[in-house]
Amino acid sequence: MGGSGSRLSKELLAEYQVRGTRVPGELARGPALRSGVPGREAERPRPPGGPLNPSRFALQDLTFLTKQEIILAHRRFCELLPQEHRSMEESLQIRVSLEQILSLPELKANPFKERICKVFSTSPARDSLSFEDFLDLLSVFSDTATPDIKSHYAFRIFDFDDDGTLNREDLSQLVNCLTGQGEDTRLSASEMKQLIDNILEESDIDRDGTINLSEFQHVISRSPDFASSFKIVL
Amino acid sequence: MPSDDQLNEIIIEVENVPSRVVPEKTLVNSSFSMVSSISDIDVTDSQSFGNSNAKKSTQLLRFSSSLNESFSQTLRRSPGSVGIDTSHENIQGQKLIASLIPMTSRDRIKAIRNQPRTMEEKRNLKKMVDKEKSKQSRHILELNCCAQCLNSFSRAYRRSKNSLSELLNYISLWQKTFKVIGGKFGTSVLSYFNFLRWLLKFNIFSFIVTFSFIVIPELTVLEKNTLQFTGLEFFTGAGYFRDTVMYYGFYTNSTIRHGSSGPPYNMQLAYIFTTAACLIICFFSLLFSMARYFRNNFINPHIYSRGITKLIFCWDFTVTHERAVRLKQKNLSTEIRENLSEIRQENVKVTLNQRLIHVSAHLAAWVVSTGVAVACCVAVYYLAENNSEFLKNHQNPGAVLLLPFVVSCINLAVPRLYSLFRLVEQHATPRREVYILLIRNVFLKISIIGILCYYWLNIVAQAGEECWETLIGQEIYRLLLMDFVFSLADSFLGEFLRRLIGTQFPTSLGLQEFDIARNVLELIYAQTLVWIGTFFCPLLPFIQMITLFIMFYVKNISLMMNFQPPSKAWRASQMMTFFIFLLFFPSFTGVLCTLAITIWRLQPSADCGPFRGLPFFTHSVHSWIDALSQRPSYLWVVWICRNLIGSVHFFFILTLLVLIITYLYWQITEGRKVMIRLLHEQIINEGKDKMFLIEKLTKLQDMEKRANTSSFTVERRDVEQTSPLHVREHGAAHDLRFRRSVQEEHPKV
Repeated sequence: MGGSGSRLSKELLAEYQVRGTRVPGELARGPALRSGVPGREAERPRPPGGPLNPSRFALQDLTFLTKQEIILAHRRFCELLPQEHRSMEESLQIRVSLEQILSLPELKANPFKERICKVFSTSPARDSLSFEDFLDLLSVFSDTATPDIKSHYAFRIFDFDDDGTLNREDLSQLVNCLTGQGEDTRLSASEMKQLIDNILEESDIDRDGTINLSEFQHVISRSPDFASSFKIVL
Repeated sequence: MPSDDQLNEIIIEVENVPSRVVPEKTLVNSSFSMVSSISDIDVTDSQSFGNSNAKKSTQLLRFSSSLNESFSQTLRRSPGSVGIDTSHENIQGQKLIASLIPMTSRDRIKAIRNQPRTMEEKRNLKKMVDKEKSKQSRHILELNCCAQCLNSFSRAYRRSKNSLSELLNYISLWQKTFKVIGGKFGTSVLSYFNFLRWLLKFNIFSFIVTFSFIVIPELTVLEKNTLQFTGLEFFTGAGYFRDTVMYYGFYTNSTIRHGSSGPPYNMQLAYIFTTAACLIICFFSLLFSMARYFRNNFINPHIYSRGITKLIFCWDFTVTHERAVRLKQKNLSTEIRENLSEIRQENVKVTLNQRLIHVSAHLAAWVVSTGVAVACCVAVYYLAENNSEFLKNHQNPGAVLLLPFVVSCINLAVPRLYSLFRLVEQHATPRREVYILLIRNVFLKISIIGILCYYWLNIVAQAGEECWETLIGQEIYRLLLMDFVFSLADSFLGEFLRRLIGTQFPTSLGLQEFDIARNVLELIYAQTLVWIGTFFCPLLPFIQMITLFIMFYVKNISLMMNFQPPSKAWRASQMMTFFIFLLFFPSFTGVLCTLAITIWRLQPSADCGPFRGLPFFTHSVHSWIDALSQRPSYLWVVWICRNLIGSVHFFFILTLLVLIITYLYWQITEGRKVMIRLLHEQIINEGKDKMFLIEKLTKLQDMEKRANTSSFTVERRDVEQTSPLHVREHGAAHDLRFRRSVQEEHPKV
């Protein structure tokens, strides 16, 4: 669908989208099963030059997004780049700094915006997002992502110190994020302690003082609203 | 000494762990994935989430989420080097790849997509799996013709389904508006608009079906309309509209045939079968929606229903408006405080006196509300009965609007009266308050509709008037229209005035909040009327379609102008489940009962409509069956009709079977509840074991350290050994848990 204004190639779309079954590679899988798959990669159309490795296009279905959503995401991502870097090859390689991603209207007001960007960033310093990280983000927050993967990433977002469990510190930072910065909305120390005690009492099954991923997913599975509220749509 | 061996063993294990330790920059992911390996004890029934298609893969993937950092690093580095080291994580990685290979390509894609990894890792994983698979595929036998056929068929079907859903997404109504509403008001208010859109789809479908099969054939044999057209018809539905395709009475009872050799079109059968088809499809659609909601929003009241954890963990990410987020934060903080104080007060004992007062207040409220509902029903019945005489005395054609006007006034005033009861009654939880209010409102609305149906079917239909079906159709049309007019007036005038009062006057009322429950009940009420009325007035779905369309925009504008975001958390999914259940149970089943009584018991009017002259509506079907039995090739249809649908024994056996299956499933559910409780206790015990072992380990470490620092020769080495142990004591504890969980995993796998 190059006519829709995006310059993403068909192969790249097929790679990312959830419903890409029109790529010739899959049709070739029938005979390939019979005679092995030595020629499968050669059957694929070569992408029009450029520094990208053609073998990257041999994969499909890596995200939960539809074709339109991927094209829209690419367009919005390109808008964050400076004019000279907006070519297709560069837009797939270049990384966008955190401040620019946080300027997106969908993320601007979110109390967890820094954590979200940090969790999805794959750069060593965790301060920039590539297009694939951006797609990852949108895929997890999309409508069709499974509750499993959503709760997994929610756990990582809420884990402020990245140690793999939600201890009291994490929980109190979480509550502070939720209640905001105002003086009258922040909870007092005693209220915070009571709140965290209650949370741990409800969710900490093995009574070790922290909430691990299983316990978190167990709690989330009992709140059916989670999947519909853990959503960001462009 | 055995304890010495144990000591050595433990220390050796602990010593081995830090050697797997991670360079600084990847510490983050490593400890996370090491700890997340604890999480692969899959104690809960994996049916509770994850799609049932990939049940097996879900179980496998829970296991596979325990991949350690080195495997992630392998994935990130390059796809070629799968790795030949036999360290523990790569064995697990190999297991993941091995589990992915035998899956079909569709399942494999789903499984890989469901992995919580970055894109690059997923891509490399897929490459590795494909490579392994290509090595093995030479040994796979040829798929036989059948399987390939099936494969290509399923692929074609999937492709067409995908393109259809893409098309539907493209023309999906009001996507941008929903995003704006969700951004400002959150998912709770959005659920009302979603419900409205869902009902709109029902009506569009009903309209298309009735229009194609009933109205269009009728339009081809149009008779001339001799009545005068005045503007009042839009409100009363009578007059000019009486002789149009709008009402039952206009339809012909003949078999339409164009030309001498054209296909015959039996209007009677078309009418009855189209209505039946609409209702059956609505029935199944409602049933499946309800089942899906029940499955996802498994309302489990017996454990931990306090809900504070849900407040904390379910932040609404769809809210994007800056001010709305701040407001939401403030409301959340207030609600947390309220919840905490409620919890504090739970421990406060309630004296017997107070309990008596509470119970008597509840009782009084119920008596008053039921009394009011009954009084309203009696008033409506009395009015309806005397309406006909009243109409004969007053020649004003607008006088027929009196009954709908009264009904709409009742629907407007009494729910607000019910909300005032909240000042007197005190409920245990706010959720119970909402449910009781809903039940009272539903009781009121359903009893009004019930009384009207009773009146129509028992009095109007048997009074011997000419064309009673058209009269009923007109009544329903008027009710619907008056309801619509009142809703518009409420939105334009009522809410607007309330906003003026709230903002201009110095009282601290503030802006009002969108009452989701009341609005959804109004939608359910209107939809019930539409379903009843479709038989008597085939264009009613079309009218309801237009109504809903206009209501959407009116409510949207009013929402943006006059309302503020909700202050309390509203459990949208549970409430939606309850509303769909209400739509199904009193509403749709009531409609089915009414129509069943109409079709099986009542006599059609003698000189209008498609069933004129027949003793019962079903006689048209019986005569058709008799006609079919003359033709030998359709005897099976006749047999089905006579022996299955028409016989009592069949339904008796069917009911018995359904009851038995229900009983079995109920017992299975009970068994699972017991299992969950036992597993829960097991987890608690394991936690205690963990704590015990960690304490023992630290004690042994201390002993070892003290023993070693006393000797000079190994001092330096031990400092090196113990300091990473010391620094990573916490990590070691995690690793110990990891080790335990892995040992448990092996016997399982």
